[in-house]
Amino acid sequence: MIDVTLIVKAVIYSISVALGAVGVSIIYNATKTFNFAHASMVGWGVYIVFAFFWFYRYPPELFLPLAFLFSGFLGIATYIIVNRRLIMAKASDINLMMSTLGVDIILFAFLNIFADYLMYTHKIGIAKGFVLETWDPRIDVLGIEIRLAWIIAPVAFITIFLSLYTMFSRTKLGIAMRATIENPELAQLQGINPEVVYLFSWFLGGGLAGLSGGVLGLIFAGKPTIGMETVVTFFAGAIVGGLETVYGGFIGGFLVGLSEYLIPSILAPITGSWVNSYRMVIPLVMMALTLLIKPSGLGAIIEKRLR
Amino acid sequence: MIELNPLAELIIMNFAIGLIVTISLNIEVGYLRIPQFGRLLAVIAGAIIAAAVPGRILALYLDLPYGAEYVNHMYNAKIVMQINNFLSKNPLLSVAVFVAMLALAAVAGGIIGYLCAYPALRLKGSYLGITLLTFGEIVTSIAWNYQPLVGGTMGVYMINPFAFVGGGSSSLIALITLAIAITLYLYAEILARSPFVRMLKAIRDSETAAEVYGKNVVKARSQTLIIGGSIAAVGGALWAIYTGRMSAASYTRLTWTFWPWAFMMLGGVGNNLGVLLGVLLFTLVRTAIIQYKYAITYIIPIAPEWLEYILVGLVIILVVMFRPQGLIPEKPTLTFPKRTVEEIKKRIELSQKESI
Repeated sequence: MIDVTLIVKAVIYSISVALGAVGVSIIYNATKTFNFAHASMVGWGVYIVFAFFWFYRYPPELFLPLAFLFSGFLGIATYIIVNRRLIMAKASDINLMMSTLGVDIILFAFLNIFADYLMYTHKIGIAKGFVLETWDPRIDVLGIEIRLAWIIAPVAFITIFLSLYTMFSRTKLGIAMRATIENPELAQLQGINPEVVYLFSWFLGGGLAGLSGGVLGLIFAGKPTIGMETVVTFFAGAIVGGLETVYGGFIGGFLVGLSEYLIPSILAPITGSWVNSYRMVIPLVMMALTLLIKPSGLGAIIEKRLR
Repeated sequence: MIELNPLAELIIMNFAIGLIVTISLNIEVGYLRIPQFGRLLAVIAGAIIAAAVPGRILALYLDLPYGAEYVNHMYNAKIVMQINNFLSKNPLLSVAVFVAMLALAAVAGGIIGYLCAYPALRLKGSYLGITLLTFGEIVTSIAWNYQPLVGGTMGVYMINPFAFVGGGSSSLIALITLAIAITLYLYAEILARSPFVRMLKAIRDSETAAEVYGKNVVKARSQTLIIGGSIAAVGGALWAIYTGRMSAASYTRLTWTFWPWAFMMLGGVGNNLGVLLGVLLFTLVRTAIIQYKYAITYIIPIAPEWLEYILVGLVIILVVMFRPQGLIPEKPTLTFPKRTVEEIKKRIELSQKESI
């Protein structure tokens, strides 16, 4: 017996991981910064959707674009205030990483303050542990109960994929981004302003983090630490897919998300339910193995085949 | 026995543990630039070994259950209490157990360090950092879920090797931890003046050049990781002994990896005195925030815990942006005392004059 809900949830979870992983690799490719602040940007995405849903009472899916925009602006702020100066000073990648860690800790603190504010000022008792799924509108199709998130999440994913693809292959900005990623000096000679590219990639990366958080909040219980707990999976997705390729994030994210969700459920009837508690170990092991065997990831292998 | 004021005890303990872990981090990051984002790994390994092994051996010796029952939260407290009763009557054995706990933890940390040397050879920069971070997360996840090891989500009680002093054993542990921290600090200072660290710095500044001069980079790297891992594991074991409980939930990457990084970066990477200063400043400010939390909440209506986070985050960002070398920048260390160096200088000048 195949559990439909389980598989659908696994797919939505993978969508969220893939979006987050693509965000990580976009920022890494453009600015060579491994963004630790992704964790809190994901968390903010979850909370933006929750707060707007709570005050306006429309279906939570409606606020996904807001989550994208908000976290995107967090990304822009991070770039302008912290990252820009460090890139100009040619800081080492450890220092770049550490600076985003500082940003992450601050954003995490503000997220918690926001949750406190919702809880004590607005008397929302569930502000630190809510399940948006319970308010998700349901539609009855041929006797199967379908939730709105089951439709919206894949649509959002395909939209993002297609628009990224179009942007990178058709628009001037996308081509400028690719050029800057390949060779910043040459791109500058061609009159491309790298700052615009860096700024835009931070916006995209942050926005994707927020969007993946919003999608995550639709199927999991939301709490301030949700980003902290899932961010390692996002890193795993980015690395398994290949940090150096943007599309690799899609593949890696899907692979990691699906195996994290499905492998324990497949193994559980054979080995017993204890497997379920080791769910978190699967993406970590996948990431460690990729790094040790082929650090450039799956995306690089596929790209080589295609050429 | 002496009993410290609880506030003083807290400051001493936080400072000592912070110093131990940050020194271990500084040996790896400061001298060899290994992006050690997996400090948690060695720390938690030390705590696990200290919690899982000596208690079980004593339980076996006392004919108490040592298998699955030992970590079962129904029996664990009772078994540990019986062991503590026994230990309180044998001060000499207790001290031996304490030393054995630290030694076991150090060995475990060393093994972890040696195992980390393999990825450290293959990967560089942020890739290596993420790999080490991942290893830490895997071990934490296993400690949290695998109940027979250290009780999983419920955690286990630690045996108290200082039960024989009666009241105030936690003050004694804090003072002993401080003594160990100072010893390790002095060790790190001696190490900093040794040919070994000069070699590490040469490798850090130019690996190719060091290899040309016949330095074994692979060996140096694994030795550094072993030293750093053992020191960090001792820190983890001491913290578990002090708190009297080992629970995987209290070992997070934030408190055991990222905060030591913040301490180190504030004080000065590659400088032990700077590290000491960084840890001291952070410990005092954090304790002050905890101490005056009601007054703070009265002025700013936010939980002081988050104020602490904002402070740590701000310090990291400001240091990285405006003073990446830290409060006390790294200076070339002198192998001899200054006077000896001056004497040698004079002698050289004299001999030059004579030859003319």
